[in-house]
Amino acid sequence: MQVWFFYKEVRIIKEFKTFTIIFIGAFIGSNLRYGESLLFTTSDNFPWGTVVANLSGAFILPFLIHYLQDRYKLSSKTILSLSTGLLGSYTTFSTFTADAYRLFETGNWIYLAGYLFLTMIGGFLFAIVGNYWAVSRAFRDLERSRK
Amino acid sequence: MINSLLVGFGAGLGAYIRNFLMQTSNKIKIDFPFMTLLINILGSFALGYLTASVRDKRMLLFLGTGICGGFTTFGTFNMELSQLWFQRRFFSCILYFSLTYIFGILGFVIGIQM
Repeated sequence: MQVWFFYKEVRIIKEFKTFTIIFIGAFIGSNLRYGESLLFTTSDNFPWGTVVANLSGAFILPFLIHYLQDRYKLSSKTILSLSTGLLGSYTTFSTFTADAYRLFETGNWIYLAGYLFLTMIGGFLFAIVGNYWAVSRAFRDLERSRK
Repeated sequence: MINSLLVGFGAGLGAYIRNFLMQTSNKIKIDFPFMTLLINILGSFALGYLTASVRDKRMLLFLGTGICGGFTTFGTFNMELSQLWFQRRFFSCILYFSLTYIFGILGFVIGIQM
């Protein structure tokens, strides 16, 4: 019986640790995005903030997972905080759909097409380039270490 | 100041729920990132519903920009998309791409008109 309570307590503490780790990352990430959305407010109402946040996040995430993680020997907790917490909250999909709907409703067809194109194709391309960049950096480090 | 706290707290909660769902989905052995798809659709629907029903600006900032914004993710989606691409699973890649965008936007439209 006592062993069971102990087990439960350990699990709760562990879960709370995970929560704190993600919470801190998400707090910072979401505020970066919020700041960008305020910073990039243009007179024509094009959602530059969401575009910048999403594309930069899509680019950095593969680089973090495939390069920085090994390069700086980051612990799984740091990775959880940075990838799931910080970058996961920094980038957003729901605001993208909201912006697209707003542009659709106001009949801003050119802006809508540009926004969809930038996010859909741009996000994918940035992720691909992020992967390539990570691999090329890793190779360069490997060659340097051999010399 | 209080706005940034609201966004931050909301996103912390949203990101934790996302992580919880992702860990649950790891137990289900389907070789397709269906949980991120589900999270993004659900989050878009919720944001649509909230935009239409919540009038208080601060509340919307907490629930919408915070929780929904932290819950849904664009980075992980594109990361998984590029992984499918590099694994040469082009059909899954295109399917994941179209399902996310079609049902994500559809979810928002349904949410805002409910």
